[in-house]
Amino acid sequence: MDNTRKSTKRLATAKELQQIVAGFYLEGHEAKRSGKPVGWMPPMNGLIEIFYAMDLQPAFPENWSPVCAAFGLIDRNYQAADSMGFSPDLCGYLRNCVGYINGMMGEEGVPLGGLPEPDMIFMPGAGCVPTMKNFQYIARRFPGAKVFKADLPQVPIEDIQRYHIDYALSEINRIVEFLTRVTGRKLDHGRLAEVVRLSDQACALWDEITSFRRCLPTPISAAEVGLMFVMVTRQGTQLAVDYLTRVRDEVKQRAEKGIGIIAKEKVRLFWDNIPLWYNLGLFNYFEKYGGVVVAETYSAAWSIRLDTANPLEALAMKSLQSYPMVSCVSMKRRKEMVLRACRDYHIDGVILHSNKSCLPITLGQMDIKRALQEELGVPSVVIEADHMDPANFSMAQFEARADAFIEVLLQRKGYRQ
Amino acid sequence: MTDSTGLTRSHIDLSPFAGAVSNRAERLARHAKKQQALGWFCTYTPIELIHAAGFLPVRIYGGTIRVELASSLVPNFVCPYMRTSLERALRGEYKYLSGVIQGYTCDTPCGMLSIWQENAGPGLFHTVPLPYNSGPAARTFYRHTLNELIDKLAGIGGQTDPASLERSLDLYAEIRRTLLRLYELRLRDIFVPPASGFYTILEAGFSLPPEEYLVLLTNLTGALGNIKAATPSGIPVLVSGSLVEQLWIFDLLEAAGGRVVADDLCNGYRYCQPADGSGADPMDRLIDRYIQRFPCPARSTVQERVPQVRALLEKSGARGAIFLFQKFCTPHLADYPALAAELKNAGIPVLLVEMDESGNIEGQLKTRFGAFFEMIGG
Repeated sequence: MDNTRKSTKRLATAKELQQIVAGFYLEGHEAKRSGKPVGWMPPMNGLIEIFYAMDLQPAFPENWSPVCAAFGLIDRNYQAADSMGFSPDLCGYLRNCVGYINGMMGEEGVPLGGLPEPDMIFMPGAGCVPTMKNFQYIARRFPGAKVFKADLPQVPIEDIQRYHIDYALSEINRIVEFLTRVTGRKLDHGRLAEVVRLSDQACALWDEITSFRRCLPTPISAAEVGLMFVMVTRQGTQLAVDYLTRVRDEVKQRAEKGIGIIAKEKVRLFWDNIPLWYNLGLFNYFEKYGGVVVAETYSAAWSIRLDTANPLEALAMKSLQSYPMVSCVSMKRRKEMVLRACRDYHIDGVILHSNKSCLPITLGQMDIKRALQEELGVPSVVIEADHMDPANFSMAQFEARADAFIEVLLQRKGYRQ
Repeated sequence: MTDSTGLTRSHIDLSPFAGAVSNRAERLARHAKKQQALGWFCTYTPIELIHAAGFLPVRIYGGTIRVELASSLVPNFVCPYMRTSLERALRGEYKYLSGVIQGYTCDTPCGMLSIWQENAGPGLFHTVPLPYNSGPAARTFYRHTLNELIDKLAGIGGQTDPASLERSLDLYAEIRRTLLRLYELRLRDIFVPPASGFYTILEAGFSLPPEEYLVLLTNLTGALGNIKAATPSGIPVLVSGSLVEQLWIFDLLEAAGGRVVADDLCNGYRYCQPADGSGADPMDRLIDRYIQRFPCPARSTVQERVPQVRALLEKSGARGAIFLFQKFCTPHLADYPALAAELKNAGIPVLLVEMDESGNIEGQLKTRFGAFFEMIGG
């Protein structure tokens, strides 16, 4: 049985996304050609805003992995990683990226031209271990690039104190000094304030878009998760704000007219953990039963509101909060977030993706499962899969579990099959 | 499989260490009635500070146990060490602990700490964030995190002052110096116990009160004073990897024709090196020691580790490297391709072994170790 499937998107604005993705990669290659410095960085921190403020070109190897999944490139990348000795038990993002940079990168015909070669590499000291290791391998592969070894306190959100913020802030200042030294460009603080304002505006729009998930029926579902591309790669730009404004307008209009994802919405579902990038079609799977995956955990990490009056400190706070929010660093906060989403979005059942490629997000799911049942009476089902590797996912097993689960949910709501 | 901890020369007695390991649970349950004990997983946990506050730091072990209760809380792709430890906690075997303190290194223990707290509490469960860099700002940040730990420990009755910290630093430094002395004596073929015996000595120190442990170590080094070098047999190898709980693996390694002369293990050299740090005050000294310590892949770059592991190989004269990993150990598995490639390029043969929680790898290991040493020795 084929493990890969594309999602069916219902938003007209989602069709623009293809162009936005292509535009981002094209911009990266144009930057490389014109001599604009390119920096490879992990996601979920304040670096992107600094890059856009200094007119530098960011690139995101982790984000490239879902693109590889969508274009069917992962098998070849995994083969390259396997041949280097990378265990199949390692995270798929890591294996895909090291396979790509030591394999097909630079070849003719790579979709979107692939990633532009880095002039600078940001090697993080926080986030998950696979991300840290990924950037260490990137630095090994590109010895000519300037490397910044970045530090960041890793603490639960509820435990953040002034000294954590001060250290994160000192690291951001060190990054600005590094960029100035390497590129010769100075940070214009007025421009940074504008970028941070745009970034915050994008987050506000994203929050507004997701708020429509409260509507019955929901005008937007997790199948539109691709919208996150702008949150990951374009935060701090007018492009992101303009695009998300159009998305918001469309979603709002659908909500006002009562247009749902499917004709008759019977069951509302929540997805915990990263989507299966090679099978976003799973988000549509339940529709034949009247089920809609209304929301998912993962996108929350990219929507951190910023204090626009203090741009640098706002970026420090963003850096401290993003990863803990969706991982096991801040288990308490994550559980609260899932429970709140289930209340706000009138969720009937939760799908817990036990993700072989991401232990930090998978750990604690059983405690969330128990809290869902005990505090909200919401049932959940565990699906064993992998966000990047189709070899760790069985469509047949998924169908068996998903069908049994949805049947229970339909019965609970008084529907007869 | 028996633990072959024992006597290599008639007058060297390792049984006090083996005894401390074998009666650990009962001993600690008794001990905790007079002194609170706090658990730890990772050698980046500042145990000196825990001790200085008046607690007994105890390394948590999982060992070989059938995982049943923990399977309902964590997936099967968590490393055996974390799964079996949680299993024991859920069975109530760690009830004597007043909590768990963990230095933030690997994602897994970080997440597991919350799961322990939720399901095997109550107690103090705290993760100490660690700096990734070593400059002045990193040290200042580290000092704040340690001060926060002192406050947390005070919350459960701990009392720390510069003098108590100084005493604990002196004590652990002396322990580590003595252990490093044993490493040196092993390298000079003066102290050549079976490797399982050597690592039992270290393991004993993870649960004994440090004052008692130092006495045992001092007795041991005293007994080694006038011994002449032996001529041990076996192909010298370095072992590198995670925590090795199943010490009988070393017996298989030696039976197949190998001899451990150096290690880069979580329950070995990485715990010991360096013995001490330096600084203007006790806290600086503690910070310096942990910032300078021999790196674990979870808290360092592969670029930093490669030269350090190569130096160990060169110093020890090891003719091969055996990587012993806990299954699903991301930090080690991720560093392996680069480390293995560098060693192979230098003409050092390598072997990778993954340890699962069943312990049913004996047959497979005999074959693989045998083939490996035959290849090197041939």
